[in-house]
Amino acid sequence: MSESLLEISDLRVDFRQDRRLVRAVDGLTYSMRRGQTVAVIGESGSGKTVSARAIMGLLPPTATVTGSIRFDDVEMVGLPEKAMRKHRGCGVAMVFQDPTRSLNPTMRVGAQIREAIQTHEKASRGAAQDRALELLELVRLPAARERLEQYPHQLSGGMRQRVMIAIALAASPKLLIADEATTALDVTTQAQIMELLRDLQQRLGMGLIMISHDLGLAASFADEVVVMYAGRAVERAPTRMLFAHVRMPYTRALLDAIPRLQNVSHAPLAAVPGQPPNLALREPGCPFTPRCPSATDQCREHAPALEEHEPEHLWACWHPCEDGVRA
Amino acid sequence: MADLPSDLVVAGVAPAADEAAVAKAGGWWRGRLGVTVPAVMVAFIFLLCFVWPIIGPVPPPTGGNILNASLPAFSPGHFLGTDPVGNDEWSRLLYGGRASLEIALAVQAIGLVLGGLIGAVAAYLGGWRDATIMRILDVFIAFPGLVLAVAIAQGLGPSELHTIWALSFFSVPASARISRAATLRLREQTFITAARLSGTSFPRMLLGHIAPNILPQLLTYALLGMGIIMILEGALSFVGLGVPPPAPSWGNMIAQGQSTLSADPRYVFLPSAALFITVVSFNLLGEGLRARWGNQ
Amino acid sequence: MSSASAPLSSPLAARAGRAGRRAGSPTLQFIIRRLLAAIPVLFGVTFLSFVVMNSLPGDAAQELLGAQATPAEIHQLEKTLGLDKPFLTRYWDWLHEAVIGHLGHSLSSGQSVGSILASDLPVTFELVGLAFLFSLALAVPIALASARKPNGVADRLSMMFSMAGLSVAPYVLALLLVYVFAVKLNVLPAIGWVPPGQSLSQNIRYLILPAVSIGLGLLCFYTRLLRADLLEQMQSEDYVVTARAKGVRPWRVLSRHALRNSLFGLITVVALNLGTLLGFTVVIEDIFGIPGIGHELLQAIDNRDIPVIEGIVFVFAVIVVLLNLAADVLYSVLDPRIRYGRPTE
Repeated sequence: MSESLLEISDLRVDFRQDRRLVRAVDGLTYSMRRGQTVAVIGESGSGKTVSARAIMGLLPPTATVTGSIRFDDVEMVGLPEKAMRKHRGCGVAMVFQDPTRSLNPTMRVGAQIREAIQTHEKASRGAAQDRALELLELVRLPAARERLEQYPHQLSGGMRQRVMIAIALAASPKLLIADEATTALDVTTQAQIMELLRDLQQRLGMGLIMISHDLGLAASFADEVVVMYAGRAVERAPTRMLFAHVRMPYTRALLDAIPRLQNVSHAPLAAVPGQPPNLALREPGCPFTPRCPSATDQCREHAPALEEHEPEHLWACWHPCEDGVRA
Repeated sequence: MADLPSDLVVAGVAPAADEAAVAKAGGWWRGRLGVTVPAVMVAFIFLLCFVWPIIGPVPPPTGGNILNASLPAFSPGHFLGTDPVGNDEWSRLLYGGRASLEIALAVQAIGLVLGGLIGAVAAYLGGWRDATIMRILDVFIAFPGLVLAVAIAQGLGPSELHTIWALSFFSVPASARISRAATLRLREQTFITAARLSGTSFPRMLLGHIAPNILPQLLTYALLGMGIIMILEGALSFVGLGVPPPAPSWGNMIAQGQSTLSADPRYVFLPSAALFITVVSFNLLGEGLRARWGNQ
Repeated sequence: MSSASAPLSSPLAARAGRAGRRAGSPTLQFIIRRLLAAIPVLFGVTFLSFVVMNSLPGDAAQELLGAQATPAEIHQLEKTLGLDKPFLTRYWDWLHEAVIGHLGHSLSSGQSVGSILASDLPVTFELVGLAFLFSLALAVPIALASARKPNGVADRLSMMFSMAGLSVAPYVLALLLVYVFAVKLNVLPAIGWVPPGQSLSQNIRYLILPAVSIGLGLLCFYTRLLRADLLEQMQSEDYVVTARAKGVRPWRVLSRHALRNSLFGLITVVALNLGTLLGFTVVIEDIFGIPGIGHELLQAIDNRDIPVIEGIVFVFAVIVVLLNLAADVLYSVLDPRIRYGRPTE
């Protein structure tokens, strides 16, 4: 049994849209080990959610997936639906962004958790209910026993998210993907949920992929960070290293955009200028060029490849930032 | 639920589901099938019923010779035979179609104009005026439609015109609801507010801005309702109302044919088939248009 | 929902809301609001029926006394019957009586209208009930089979047939069924009725054709509605993605998750259809000779039996309004979001 839990190589996902092909993920490569936490950071449209869904085979039929996703030594791309279903929930599980819409409003909480359990193992209703209770206690949901009989709308946002996590953990997955799991929550609850996830991950030895647009979150909780832009990984490094030696101008800009207490009050917030690119119109060259302060003609003509320029630190840029110099 | 405004549900019309997706999936051919084919069919039916009797060799539908009663199909001079009093069945079919179509057209036109106006005004005015109007319409919708129509037509006596009045009680509220819903949606849009702020008068507002935007939807539903109205006209004929014999309408032909059903079923099934084909064509056309123009 | 067009923020509704809140349960709140909204509609409907009834030509007093009556006699009878009072007064009196159940007596048979209704209504209910049962029992599995593989064979076929079924007039279908099953095949009776007390099997046998005549149109309609809603749930609802992410089989996602939510919507639709449905029931009862309310109405119209007509129209109208209300209430009771109200922190 290898140490490697997930290996994504050159993943491409195309969507058929009105006779056009839109490439949402364009050659994504990264891997992770058991028990590791990887943060995948990017703006909307960067392909981070699509890549996550691709791991679980949850893309709509209009999507074409090429490349390789090796999960636990099994190739996921091209896996027949029946086999894929066995992995969902049991091998890889996902927690979604909006727990209000992601839970069935007409089904009791307990029933929804039981379903997750009973899909993968033969268990009687009673046994499954007991296990559901255990799971709710595991995710630290207060008054767990009562909650089992309640409907999702009777719980607060934070509680619903805990239920989602309980559902995700029901079949003891090896990999948990949290897709913007805390974005819809208030800051305090956000912190609580993140703590919970980290704690669970350590206890259960799961791999955890955190998908977010929030670099700050990555800083606090991830072992490794993958920065995505326009469907590609543009920088990848262990967290400490990334924050200490930011190389990609894009990552730099993201960092700079985080509001800090030390900033002068009423100073304008440093936003990343421009708009994310239109994925339907792919130009040659680096996709960040229009918004990059260091862009040159070379950037416009040749897209840089993701390479390990320093030990354990990969980036794709012709003009990476120097240490200590702001872009 | 789904994309269906409750108003249409009252009219008994079913949703188009994801016809747009279906049309896309099937490509060009499906798209054509959606609108062109039913449109051609409808046009053909209209031509047959309204134009052909004028220019073609079609005997009059009434005043037939009793000596020619109940001739079978393909008899000389009467290719569909004759009815029990000697009228040419083919002619009755065509003129009957004209009557039924006239009624349905009139009813839907009244519904479109009157109902559309009421709904749009109600939505535009808003507040208690809107509430009152809608309450009144609710009353009409809650009232069992056919009973109302029966009573009214009964009170006024059977005739084509009275049938149109009676059925309008059904189409006007249904159309008003749709119009109101569409206008409400329109009101949200900024160009309406802009027009208002620039002092556009109410009638101009209605005609110039609101009407053109809600018209496609109203038209589509009017088309979809054609089938129901024609069927309802037939139902009225069954209860002794509708178009009074001897003038034919598909409705009264079916009702009259009931008595000779076992002996000679064609008197029932010829107009039934004609009615069915017509209703299907209108339904397909309405659905095709709705898929084409999208559910706004 | 039928009364959803009324702004529920009117003072009356607000007071109702407060009363409901004091009563505690949010469902009760909801029911009370709906009830109050239904009352003006009930008034309107009964008033409308009274107006309609009174516009029927033919003087009631004249009818009773016959053609030989002198104007003086007619006038005298009118006074006795209270027909000379102002319109609104008559409406109010009539309404009072009607609500208690004193609907007068049939002009032709002398029987009390109440007892006529009591014997006829159950017959019509049974007919309509069977039609509903037939349509719903088939609509659900067909819609599920269609939604399972959109544009698949089952889907295309069912959509084609349902379009055809919707385009057939119920009375045409009735005559067709009679021709095939009664005249040609002679397996089912064409006309008549046997009370269930006498023989349940015969009772059902006589009701099969009429129920199918009404039910087929309903079936086609509900199938399309359900299929559309199921597809929408499956394609755009997030909880469907969650279910798939758990590894749940697609069939189960459809039948356990989507169906539940779709069925709710169906309840409201069923209620809205009622008015038109009752109308067609009249014709069907006439064709098959079923002694229900519809049949009674037609006879009364033929006989100019005003009290019976009034009574039937009144009851019809009230039933429609009440059933709409019932559907709203049922919806609120079943939908856990309304039943259990606000979230607890």
